[in-house]
Amino acid sequence: MFHNSSQGKYWIWKNEDEIEQKRCKANLKFRNKILESGKPGLSESSFMERHEEDVLFRHYERRMMDFCNAFKPAMPKSVVGTAIMYFRRFYLFNSIMEYHPRIIMLTCAYLSCKVDEFNVSSTQFVGNLLQETPAGQERVLEQILEFELLLIQQLKFHLVVHNPYRPMEGLLIDLKTRYPALENPESLRKSADDFLTQATITDAGLLFPPSQIALTAILNSASRAGLNMESYLNECLGMKEDKETLSKMYESMRRMKTILKKYELPKPEEVNTYKKKLERIHAEFATSSNKRKRGYEEDDHVTKEPRLTEEIMSDEDMS
Amino acid sequence: MCRGTNSCLKRTTDMEQYSILGRIGEGAHGIVFKAKHIETGETVALKKVALRRLEDGIPNQALREIKALQEIEDNEHVVKLKDVFPHGTGFVLVFDFMLSDLSEVIRNSQRPLTPAQVKGYMMMLLKGVAFLHHNNIMHRDLKPANLLISSSGHLKIADFGLARLFSELGDRLYSHQVATRWYRAPELLYGARKYDEGVDLWAVGCIFGELLNASPLFPGENDIEQLCCVLRVLGTPTQESWPEIVELPDYNKITFKENPAIPLEEIVPDTSPQAVDLLNKFLVYPSKQRCSARKALLHPYFFSSPLPAHHSELPIPQRGGRPPRQRLQAPPTDFSVDLPLQNSVVDPALLQGHASCL
Repeated sequence: MFHNSSQGKYWIWKNEDEIEQKRCKANLKFRNKILESGKPGLSESSFMERHEEDVLFRHYERRMMDFCNAFKPAMPKSVVGTAIMYFRRFYLFNSIMEYHPRIIMLTCAYLSCKVDEFNVSSTQFVGNLLQETPAGQERVLEQILEFELLLIQQLKFHLVVHNPYRPMEGLLIDLKTRYPALENPESLRKSADDFLTQATITDAGLLFPPSQIALTAILNSASRAGLNMESYLNECLGMKEDKETLSKMYESMRRMKTILKKYELPKPEEVNTYKKKLERIHAEFATSSNKRKRGYEEDDHVTKEPRLTEEIMSDEDMS
Repeated sequence: MCRGTNSCLKRTTDMEQYSILGRIGEGAHGIVFKAKHIETGETVALKKVALRRLEDGIPNQALREIKALQEIEDNEHVVKLKDVFPHGTGFVLVFDFMLSDLSEVIRNSQRPLTPAQVKGYMMMLLKGVAFLHHNNIMHRDLKPANLLISSSGHLKIADFGLARLFSELGDRLYSHQVATRWYRAPELLYGARKYDEGVDLWAVGCIFGELLNASPLFPGENDIEQLCCVLRVLGTPTQESWPEIVELPDYNKITFKENPAIPLEEIVPDTSPQAVDLLNKFLVYPSKQRCSARKALLHPYFFSSPLPAHHSELPIPQRGGRPPRQRLQAPPTDFSVDLPLQNSVVDPALLQGHASCL
C-alpha cells in the first residue's frame, strides 16, 4: 500500500526544483571533495557541469532500459521500473563523476531482480552482457557485487518500489466494470503503456504517486483517442463533490505531461564529448574519490577498461 | 562518510551506538547478537548479515526481511525492524530483543499450558497474521520457533526471510520449497507453485494443535512421510474434498492407500469442542476454505470461558532453556487497559508505617 510505503514517505518530492537542487548539491559535493584534496592543476573546468551530467545520465538510463528489455529470460516490467527508479534515486545524492553510471546501472538492475523476486542467478545475469567474454562477465559480476552494498545503503535500505503498472491494470478493470460509457477500455492500453514507459525515464516517479501516473496515462490515452472521460472522474471516482481535489489533480496531470514533453533524447555528439570528460575524471580521481576501497583491490578496471561494459548494448540506442 | 541528505543528521549510523552483550545464536544469514543501545539503554538483537564469499551478493532472505518489515507499520504482534545500517563488508539489522520463543515455551513449560494460555497465544498469533495478510504479506514460514516471546509475554512474529508480498501482478510462480516441513501446507507438499496466504493459515492450525498437545501435530521425517502424516489425519484427499488437487504438479507422482479421516477430537483429546471446531477450520485441504485470521478472531472459542490469558499470565522461559533466574529488575510495566486495576494500586496498609498522614 502506497500511503504508508517508504516511497510515499521518503521518496516523493514537491517539485522539480527541489530535485534539481539535490543533484546540484551532489555535483558540488564531489567538486569540493576533490578540490579539498589539494590536487594541483585543478580548475572548475576539470569537472562536469550539471547539464553535462544530465545528458550522460539520460544516456546511461536508456542503455539500462535497453539492457533490461533485451534481457533473457524476459524481465517483467515492474522489475525494469524498479531498476530505473533505483538508478534515479541513487543519482539524487551522488554524482556520476563519483560513481560511474555504467556499473551502477547494472547493479540497480541486479538488485531489482532480486528484490522483485525475478530469480535469475548471478551467472545468468551477467550472461546477458553478450559482448563480454566469460572472463569479462566474471569481472563485471565482481564489480556489481562490490557496489551492491553501496547501492542499497544509498537507497536507505528502502527496497520496495511501487510502479504504475498495477494501478493501471486496476483502472482498466474498473473502467470495464463500472464505466459502460466507454466501449472498449482495452483500446486505451497501448498508448497508456507508452506513456508509462516514457514516464519511467523522467522524474515523474519522484514527484507523483504511481496511481496518479497511471490515471494520467489512461486519461491521456483517452483524450488522444478523442474520448472524454470527465464523467468517469466525476461519477466513478467520486470527484464531483470535491472540486478542489479535482482541480489539484488536473494540475498534477498538466505538470506530468509537461515533464514528459520536455524529455530530450541525449544527442550522440554531446554524449561522446561528455563521455570522454567523464572517463578522464574517473581515471584521474577514481582512486582518491573511492572511499569504499575495502574489498576491491583494483577499482581500476572500471576506469582503465572503459569499454568493458560499455558494449553491452552496442546496437546504439534510439538516438 | 555521510552521503544522504537527511539521514546523516539523525544517525551516527554505526555499531558504535551499541555495546555487544553476548551472542544469541546463528541465523540463516549470519550471527545474532544481544546488544545494548547505549543512548537509550534498550536491549536489542543485532542480526549481522555478512557478504563475504557470497556468490550472489546480498542474500534474498535478508532482502525479503528488510522489504517486508520496512513497509509495514508497527504492530504489537510483529517484530519491529528498528534500524538497518551497513557494517564492514555487510550490514546489520536491529530488532527488539526477545527473551524466548514459542517452541521453548512448549518445550520447557513445567506443566502443560492451560486452555486459557493456549487461547492467549492463539489470539496474539492470529492478530499478527491478520495484520500481515491485511498488508499483503505471506510469511511462508510460520512455526513456533519463529514466534518470539517478549519479556512482557507478548508473542511477536519474526523471521521474514521467506516472506513474500503477494501484491505482484500476473502469473509469476512461487517456490514450493518454503516453510519448515511440519508446518508445510498440503498443496506445498504436492509441489504447488501458485498458492496464497492459506499456507500461513495451515501453519497456524499446526501451531494450534501443537499448543493443545504440547507436541507437533504432523512430525514427518521427510517430505513423503509428511504427506502421510497429514493424510492419516485428514483422510486421503478426493476430488470432492479437494477439487484443485488434480492440478497440482506432484498429484500423479504418488498415491496413497485410501483411508478415512480421523476426527480431530481424537487427535487433540481433552480439548473443548470450540477449540476443535476452530482447529477444523484451519486444517482443511482447499486453501480457500481455510478460515482467515481476521475471521478466526471472531470465533466463539475466544469469547467463551476460560477467556484468553492476559500476556502477563503467560510463562516466559529464558533463552537456552535455563531455569528462570531470580528477577532482579522490576517486573515489566507495560501499560495496558486490560490489566486488573488492583495490580497498580498499592495497598495502604503497606504504607502505614512510613507515611504519617495515613
